[in-house]
Amino acid sequence: MTTLDGIRLVARRELTERTRERSFLISTVVTLVILCGFIVIPKVFFSDRTTTWDVGLVGAGSAPLGRPLETQAPLVGARVRVHRSADVAAAEAALRDGDLDLAIVDGRQLLAESDPDDQLVALVQAASRLARAQTALAEANLSERQIADALAPPPLPVRTLEASDPERRANRAIAFPAVLLLYGQLIGYGYTVAVGVVEEKATRVVEVLLSTIRPVQLLAGKIIGIGLVGLVQLLIIGGIGLAVAVGIDAIDLPPGAFATLGMVLLWFLLGYAFYSVLFAVAGAVVSRQEEVQNTSTPMSLVLVASFLAAISALSNPDGPIATVSSYLPPVAPLTMPVRVAGGAASGWEIVVSVLLTLAAIAVLVPLSARLYSGAVLRSGARVKLSSAWSASRG
Amino acid sequence: MLELKGLTRRYGDVVALDDVSFSVGEGQMFGFVGPNGAGKTTAMRIVLGVLEPNAGEVLWRGRPMDNQARRQAGYMPEERGLYPKMRVRAQLEYLAELHGLDRSAARQSAGHWIDRMGLSERAGDRVEALSLGNQQRVQLAAALVHDPVMLVLDEPFSGLDPVGVDVLAGVLKDKAAAGTPVIFSSHQLDLVERLCEAVAIINKGRLVASGTVAELRSAGRRRRWEVSVAGADAGWAAHLSGARVLDQAAGGANGRVLLELDDGTDEQAILDAARRAGRVTYFGSSEPTLADLFRQAVQP
Repeated sequence: MTTLDGIRLVARRELTERTRERSFLISTVVTLVILCGFIVIPKVFFSDRTTTWDVGLVGAGSAPLGRPLETQAPLVGARVRVHRSADVAAAEAALRDGDLDLAIVDGRQLLAESDPDDQLVALVQAASRLARAQTALAEANLSERQIADALAPPPLPVRTLEASDPERRANRAIAFPAVLLLYGQLIGYGYTVAVGVVEEKATRVVEVLLSTIRPVQLLAGKIIGIGLVGLVQLLIIGGIGLAVAVGIDAIDLPPGAFATLGMVLLWFLLGYAFYSVLFAVAGAVVSRQEEVQNTSTPMSLVLVASFLAAISALSNPDGPIATVSSYLPPVAPLTMPVRVAGGAASGWEIVVSVLLTLAAIAVLVPLSARLYSGAVLRSGARVKLSSAWSASRG
Repeated sequence: MLELKGLTRRYGDVVALDDVSFSVGEGQMFGFVGPNGAGKTTAMRIVLGVLEPNAGEVLWRGRPMDNQARRQAGYMPEERGLYPKMRVRAQLEYLAELHGLDRSAARQSAGHWIDRMGLSERAGDRVEALSLGNQQRVQLAAALVHDPVMLVLDEPFSGLDPVGVDVLAGVLKDKAAAGTPVIFSSHQLDLVERLCEAVAIINKGRLVASGTVAELRSAGRRRRWEVSVAGADAGWAAHLSGARVLDQAAGGANGRVLLELDDGTDEQAILDAARRAGRVTYFGSSEPTLADLFRQAVQP
């Protein structure tokens, strides 16, 4: 049996046993429910519903304004419903009853109850200007075609300096649930590693296992196996979450959505590699499950702080906190995806951040493996890191 | 042959094992005894490579025991070692594969030992759902599932009911008869004496005696005689010259005592003294039990 065979066997056990546990199903469903909540609730409660204005037309002079109002309103994100009013008195009564927002009297005067909506007034003024210009030009004997050319020149093209807005907004809409998901997976599966390690210690299975394979194989297999469980869960949740979001039109799937999901997977792998070995040491130095919480506190705290940094980066992806923290290996897995989604990180920045995190992992893994090997067979009191270090020959 | 040579292990300032050497022959049933904390578990862990010794080595068939050899050993740790939430069959298959069996062989062997241990109906249950006795059977199956070439068992009999003891003893005898060296630790010295050809007694990390039980009895031990004298004073033997009272039996009415004779003391002179004290109903040489040898060895 080779080194890889040992690692493969351990990883396979973790994957098959843990995905068959009821807790896997439960945590998947709970995470999905929370995630879908974040997608569905804003859609239901906070979507900007289109404003509708009711405009009354009094007299023949107002009639030509009806159609332009209806066609122009969508440009300011609104809708106009045109009503015919018999006379000024009827229009006034309708205004008082709230059936009308504004009335146009003979195309010469605007009538409102008190404060008319500025946007609506501007809209009507523009329509009126256009109608009066049209009349003036017609009286100057211009042909219909000339009038159309004068009054409706082709619109100016728009050039944006950054990615078009709806796409960015959609990317940011994905970024929040993505960060939440990443945070949950990192802390959840990191803790699973710690508990898994101490479970083997507490039940003394570790002695039987270590009579067949070396500690490094056991550690590697365990971390890879549990990481695969986390990855599988992430794919299930990410896939279903994205499908739900698109299904209810909460977000238009931007072209970058799959890139964002890819980012989440990449940073899950990097973050998990970084944290899981530390959680493994936290599990190895204690002998009872109740003690794991204490020894994993440092990692949990750093993860919570990273999560808060990521939340602040959501609203300000170009800010100093977001920028600096996206190069710090413990924080980068949560803040870098936010900067990427916000369009605030260029390609080379992502590469540098990934390389820095990989370098940190390359340092941590052998250190943690040595501490783990030195501590995992010591039962009883909590093992000091220094004695775990010297007890192991690496 | 399994040889332990000069094994030494320290934990900080504590010497858990101090230059311990003994050997176990193929097919030999070997008892490893000593008070709690004497170093038995440490020695067994070193044999299995779970711990590294500070000095000394373990030889298997004349060569240093490497990972390959260890994987062919069967090990049962003192405080047991099973995943509580894993199902019996999956657990045994997993351990068999870790010991180097391929998947189909692992499946077959797990099935065999589940049958042999009478666990067929519980094969799909989680280990934690089993009674302690059945968990113990799974544990033994786990040590045997890869057809080990040697067995190292830490307190395998503790917690077993008499029927369980017989089943386990039977399995171990079969393995030994098939040529497998079997080394186990136990506090049940009568059991060790009954099952084992050879023993090692360890105390405070040091080997204090090893060999066959017969060798231990004869090695430098003084002769013991048991005498029963009807109608004698309880203290009739207290002042005999050349002999010491080891044990004054509880039923003192018949004056039964265990005597240890100094070298050169004639047992006939002791018999004469007994007859002067009363009517001798029993006079015979006494073999020390393993428990006696153990007490002698570990008491200062």
